[in-house]
Amino acid sequence: MSIEFRAVSYTYPGTRIGVSDIDLAIADGELLAIIGASGSGKSTLLKLLAGFLVPDSGRILVDGKDVTGLKPEDRQLGIVFQNYALFPHMSAAQNVAYPLKMRGIGRPQRLEQARAALVRVGLGDFTERRPATLSGGQQQRVALARSLVFSPRALLLDEPLSALDAALRVGMRDEILKVQRQADIATLHVTHDQEEALSLGDRVAVIAGGRIAQVAPPRELYERPATRAVAAFVGEANLWQGRIAAPGRVALANLDLAADTEGFAPGDVVTVMVRPERIGPAPASGINVFTGAVATDRYLGPTRRVDFAVDGVNVRLHTHVREAFSAISIPPDAIRLLPAD
Amino acid sequence: MPRHIAALFFLPGTLVFVLFFALPATSILLEAASDAGSAVARVFADPVFWNGVRGSLLIGTIAPFVSLVVGVMVAIALSRLAPRLRTATLVAITLPLTFSGLIIAYGFILVFGRSGFVTLLLAELGFDPAVVGQFIYSVFGLGLAYSYYLIPRVVLVVLPAIMNFDATQIAAARSMGASRLRALAGIMLPQIAPSLAAAYALTASVAIGAYGTALALVGTQVNILPLVLYSKISETGTDMPAAAVISIVLMAICSAVIALAELMLGRR
Repeated sequence: MSIEFRAVSYTYPGTRIGVSDIDLAIADGELLAIIGASGSGKSTLLKLLAGFLVPDSGRILVDGKDVTGLKPEDRQLGIVFQNYALFPHMSAAQNVAYPLKMRGIGRPQRLEQARAALVRVGLGDFTERRPATLSGGQQQRVALARSLVFSPRALLLDEPLSALDAALRVGMRDEILKVQRQADIATLHVTHDQEEALSLGDRVAVIAGGRIAQVAPPRELYERPATRAVAAFVGEANLWQGRIAAPGRVALANLDLAADTEGFAPGDVVTVMVRPERIGPAPASGINVFTGAVATDRYLGPTRRVDFAVDGVNVRLHTHVREAFSAISIPPDAIRLLPAD
Repeated sequence: MPRHIAALFFLPGTLVFVLFFALPATSILLEAASDAGSAVARVFADPVFWNGVRGSLLIGTIAPFVSLVVGVMVAIALSRLAPRLRTATLVAITLPLTFSGLIIAYGFILVFGRSGFVTLLLAELGFDPAVVGQFIYSVFGLGLAYSYYLIPRVVLVVLPAIMNFDATQIAAARSMGASRLRALAGIMLPQIAPSLAAAYALTASVAIGAYGTALALVGTQVNILPLVLYSKISETGTDMPAAAVISIVLMAICSAVIALAELMLGRR
């Protein structure tokens, strides 16, 4: 079952905030992660799909059927909320049984199904516990079981891991992915955590200012961002303004870089993007090797984050090298040229 | 903290309890039992007393119920306001709690009495002021006046529960197939029920026991227990043992209301 946004626009009453002209499709069984800064519109997309907001224009289709005008209760979507929204006055099993109760399934039968669903997420021993007596991770599993127990047409995850400890979060990512794969349904995962989006999403959509900036598989998004804004938002990047000096050469302040300039003509102004982990200390000479001085040096445990000054250009790099160095190398294949803004 | 110093902290409370509850309650019990308990028979045989019980139960049911309905709606509205506006509104709403019952009664007479502002305004529209002006002196009018200071009490008790309720639970319930009404009834109501019961019990016992507003507003026209009690200790026809019996009945009713609320909460 698929999800589709067709030219969907929505503006919050009395403001200019919202989303505009959203075209987005999530295939059956696919997990699409949406990332964006606060206020970028990612949660608005989720609310529109869930039916808590009604678009000003455009249509939303689930499994090919237009659900734009349907109430939330008629959409058959499983949602995991940021704070889980578990019902505190009910046991874990009663929470999971709630959507079945709404579908008229008898008490013994629905509680049996709910318990089975809890066993599947590893909470077989906790079925009669109230949410307040469960850990964050356990509550998360209850919410996940509850969102899937009624075989929804799609799954919506609204920052489901943001309330968990960093250590637990990584483990729960695998759990979510496992459950989503088992359910095999179209899933929209809203998050502000890039690493989470990159590690979970089959594809990742970047939303900024209410518009989709790029939708791509994680690796493509990270390594070949479409715009300067996407490059700046996803991961860390060196972004310099340069000019194509000649085919295969980019001029950058006083530096001359060898790079693949295909798609650009000499004289074009471009944004030069290089990920910090692709730059490293180097012997004194070679292609794209520059000498300079370390401006700042931060110890991050496994790596060092170094700001390296080369002829007035600040080059940020992440390196495993522990020793001092006075030259760096920027491999030509690490350089990606983007249109200047 | 040393134990004897900790014990000191219990002293004021114990003193207040003994002086202002245990002693008066005991003396009332003794008074009621004087004359070999003949006052009990005398009071229970008096139709005025039974009318008073009926009147008190009526006003102790209607006024808290109306106050609860209005108070909950006010609290829901308040919970949606911006924090500063909410605080300001809450101050305005709770202002009636600082007025004495007497002031409220006179205020109501000035507005709704026989020559009250609203009565005269309605007279302009053709409503008979003799009829309209009479309403405030009835049990229902008294209930209205009571609601004036019961509603703020309801708001104060219920607002924290409503504020603490996480509205995403309603969104979650709806996404699982519940209509808005069903979500409110099945998810929100059970969670705020303790505070609703507490508010009801509190306002019911206040309404049943209130006396100042009633006396100033209706004198002894309306039969309610506090006024029957008053008639037994006023200068004409003083009957202290009977007054003591009525006091005990009044306390018993108020305690029963609170016990009932506690029982309902305990059953959850």
